[in-house]
Amino acid sequence: MVTAEKRAELKATDASLIDRIVQRDESALAALYDRYSGMLTSVLNRILRDTQAAEEILQDIFYQLWRNAAQFDSSRGSLSGWLLVIARNRAISRLRRHNPASGDELSENTVVVASNLERSVAQQQLMAKVKSALDNLPKEQRAAIELAYFEGLTHSEIAQRTGDPLGTVKTRLRTAVETLKRDLHS
Amino acid sequence: MSSEHPTRPEDFDLYALGALDDAERQAFESHVVSCADCAEKVAAARGRIAILAFAAPTVAPSPGVKETLMRQVIASAEGPSGGLARVKPEPAADAGVFARWWGVLLPVAGAFALATVLLWLHNEQLNRQLADLRNTIEQQKQELAETRHQADLIAARETLVVPLWSQKGTPESHAEGHARVLYNAKEGMMTYDGWLPSAPADKSYQLWLVPMNGAPISAGVFNPQNGEMSHMMMKLPAGVTAKEFAVSLEPAGGMTHPTGPMVLVGPIS
Repeated sequence: MVTAEKRAELKATDASLIDRIVQRDESALAALYDRYSGMLTSVLNRILRDTQAAEEILQDIFYQLWRNAAQFDSSRGSLSGWLLVIARNRAISRLRRHNPASGDELSENTVVVASNLERSVAQQQLMAKVKSALDNLPKEQRAAIELAYFEGLTHSEIAQRTGDPLGTVKTRLRTAVETLKRDLHS
Repeated sequence: MSSEHPTRPEDFDLYALGALDDAERQAFESHVVSCADCAEKVAAARGRIAILAFAAPTVAPSPGVKETLMRQVIASAEGPSGGLARVKPEPAADAGVFARWWGVLLPVAGAFALATVLLWLHNEQLNRQLADLRNTIEQQKQELAETRHQADLIAARETLVVPLWSQKGTPESHAEGHARVLYNAKEGMMTYDGWLPSAPADKSYQLWLVPMNGAPISAGVFNPQNGEMSHMMMKLPAGVTAKEFAVSLEPAGGMTHPTGPMVLVGPIS
């Protein structure tokens, strides 16, 4: 049974929850965790293929949000986008044994997501849309996108991995991002 | 710093995707850092690329992660600096952590159980070897005690050393028979070392102490193996003065008094 308090938190915007976190309201952090932890766990697991490592990063991200929420400017970008970018960056850093991201991630990584992902329904709809868009890509383009996004490979690294010429890889990726941009944001 | 804007719109998405190689990325960033317009485009491209995360299979976090996070948050608020107090997950409250640990602990427990069984078997084998060694040591102790006793017996001034020889008239097969008896009357101790041919199947040799007075006393029955020396140690009644020692051929198992031919005789001179 969903309580009135829970319903209020489900309706609360990310910005209002951030404001409450700044006021040290632990329930606001819990609400944001409930809202986005599934989305983040999915991508962390896909990149790392290690549940424990994924959950460590997940916990660290939200703890960082708790400590530095005041630095997040909701007017400049979306929290959901920021969470996705930070999760991916950290997972790839761990995957590739890079040093963890340095600097102030909250203020430096402004991310604007066109979709409002504050509702789980919106997340479900976007998931279906993204999967459909990727399914419609030619196999080589989809593979190149996945190597770049989920494994953090550059053009040259993808060419080396697949054995394809560098120019071919660049063309595939460029075409793929153009197609995705059109299909997902038109 | 580069003053050139990226030439194609997709460059922002490729940058956000992380696909640019180092030189391209550095050139891109050196421009964007000072170009507000391009910085906005980067933010939008980050958003477009970020949602590719939704292509990942859906996975829910373990319930324990949230509990650990919230305890960490509370601990940091209560800490003296409100800072970096870290809280470790509590396995008892976390089925996901349980599952992970079981994945590690079960093979470890299996290996531990196997190692325990192997160690137990090895220990049993060692115990058996140890018992065998103890038996061997005990046997050697007894042999050593006997040897010492014989040595003491030989060294004792009152001990008699009596050679036994075949007698005239004994069968030719026994002509080469010989023996030696050590006899300590005070202690009633006696040893026999000698050689005789194998006795017939239905016969045994029997050693006798013939006292100065009275009937011969049986000191033992023996059946030597073909070609081997016989060794015996006997305890007889103490204080019996011997006149001679003799070996007779008796029915198998021996008799209470000599009935057969005397094959070896050793008189005390």
